[in-house]
Amino acid sequence: MNRTLKRTDLLWLAFTALIALVPLVPAVAMNSFVMHVLILVLLYASMAQAWNIIGGYGGQTSFGHAVFFGIGAYGAGMAVVTYGMTPWPGALVGIVSAAVVAVLISYPCFKLSGHYFAIATFAIVEIFNRMFLVWDWVGGALGLDYMIVEEGLANLMWYDSKTGYFYCALVLFALIFGIVRFLEGHRFGYYLRAVRAGQETAESLGVNSTAVKLAAMALSAALAALCGAFFVQYNLRVDPGMVMSLDTSMKFVLVTILGGAGTLAGPLLGAAVLVPLQEFTRAKWGGLGGGVDLIIFGFLIILIVVKQPAGITGIVRDIARRRGRRGGSGKGGASLGAA
Amino acid sequence: MALLEVRDVTKKFGELVACDRVSFTVEAGAIVGLIGPNGAGKTTLFNCISGLFPVSSGAIVFDGREITGLPSYRIARMGAVRTFQVVRPLKDMTVFDNVMVGAFLQGAGTAKARAAAEHSIRICGLAEFAGKDSGDLPIGVKKRLELARALATRPRLLMLDEVMAGLTSTEVNTALELIRTIRKEGITLLIVEHIMEAIMPIADRVVVLDGGVKLAEGPPAEIINDERVITAYLGEKFSRRMQARKEGKADG
Repeated sequence: MNRTLKRTDLLWLAFTALIALVPLVPAVAMNSFVMHVLILVLLYASMAQAWNIIGGYGGQTSFGHAVFFGIGAYGAGMAVVTYGMTPWPGALVGIVSAAVVAVLISYPCFKLSGHYFAIATFAIVEIFNRMFLVWDWVGGALGLDYMIVEEGLANLMWYDSKTGYFYCALVLFALIFGIVRFLEGHRFGYYLRAVRAGQETAESLGVNSTAVKLAAMALSAALAALCGAFFVQYNLRVDPGMVMSLDTSMKFVLVTILGGAGTLAGPLLGAAVLVPLQEFTRAKWGGLGGGVDLIIFGFLIILIVVKQPAGITGIVRDIARRRGRRGGSGKGGASLGAA
Repeated sequence: MALLEVRDVTKKFGELVACDRVSFTVEAGAIVGLIGPNGAGKTTLFNCISGLFPVSSGAIVFDGREITGLPSYRIARMGAVRTFQVVRPLKDMTVFDNVMVGAFLQGAGTAKARAAAEHSIRICGLAEFAGKDSGDLPIGVKKRLELARALATRPRLLMLDEVMAGLTSTEVNTALELIRTIRKEGITLLIVEHIMEAIMPIADRVVVLDGGVKLAEGPPAEIINDERVITAYLGEKFSRRMQARKEGKADG
């Protein structure tokens, strides 16, 4: 069993290395739209993977991740715009604050189960949205607009080419996927899945389910905030509606569910399908008044939920199983022939 | 010294008294059976001991420490682990991963947990199911999974809630054999059982509950002939007939 795990890990490393080579292809690197789509795929995959920790593995559907994403974005944004620093200390403050906020709001919410937990997290997004709209210190409704600073890794900002952003997004992706892969094989990952499957049962085996869920939520929020910090550096602007909205929360949830919640590959598969779809429809039919991408989003989700609730990973697994069965019968035939 | 001591435990649900001042002890190394007809309060008592329900009054002492009111995960960590009557496989996890969750109670080390899980799976005869999803297994296998998972925690007291209910007679024999194996590993057992025939051959001592009250307590041979127990299980009429037959025999 260990060996197959190692093999899939190698596959992941090879895949990441392959992605790292993409900007070396001049035709791709010169096409800023393609680069933009690639960066967004990596960012959305990272966001979805962060959500996947508590939402997928932990089974606690949170619609509140826009708040943590927003806190990370504002952390970096305020460091640069308000205090004239590099974004790094701001991102760090954002990450820590997001984790603290996550624990504070989750503790009472975890007393609720199932749909009620989801609904409570919905409300929290609205609360933070309104709060940031009227809060002058964070820029209020106007938000924060970046000024021109020197480009490079220190300021995490590039103007001419998107290659810098691309590699940052790749590091983000590798970091978050690496963390989740690590957790999957360790006690915390087992406990998290056990809590999802049955809280009472998990507790009967010595699992402190509240502590496990809170830790998962804190980690998930911290990583969402890290994604938010990257987003604001890429977007060069942030306002409450842009980050702390149900739209943003939905993206965390939908990308993961489309790809397959509670699986390592799910968030990447979901992002790889949804982001290009979103960006191409926006580019093609953006003139129709906007929202066409969301309509297609909606249809896709309905289709997935009805046809295969396990998402794209579920579809892949079904195909593999069918193949396996065919392969198995083929082998059976061969042995019969030999006899 | 007693490993588990239940002292005057009462559990009320509103007006209903499910357990009424029940007291008994479980000695280290023993197999104690907790029997009684349906609705006797066996599972309720179990839920109180394992911390799933708070008791209304009374005390539960495990290994010299009072555990009344502790959350169930703390009680499990102290070494008193239970199974559930209605099997609760952790769905979307393989049989092996289910057992791993139990095995991690001994520490965070994955290699050590894996060894404990493998051992537990082997003695429960689950090796061929290890890679299967725990949701789609036949009931007999699910019951063994309950057992394997609890066993993997390396408990000092293992509390089994009707692990033999719904099994075929062959499966019951396998289960009895398994319980003997577990005891040999030095684990104390408290077994709730509805079927008297299943528990009598293995128990050192039996506690009988009826209507929430402790009816009798003693070695299986005594319990089996206890008039009150027979009445509770088989009804007044049957008990009277038994009694009459016994007297008839004595006369003849």
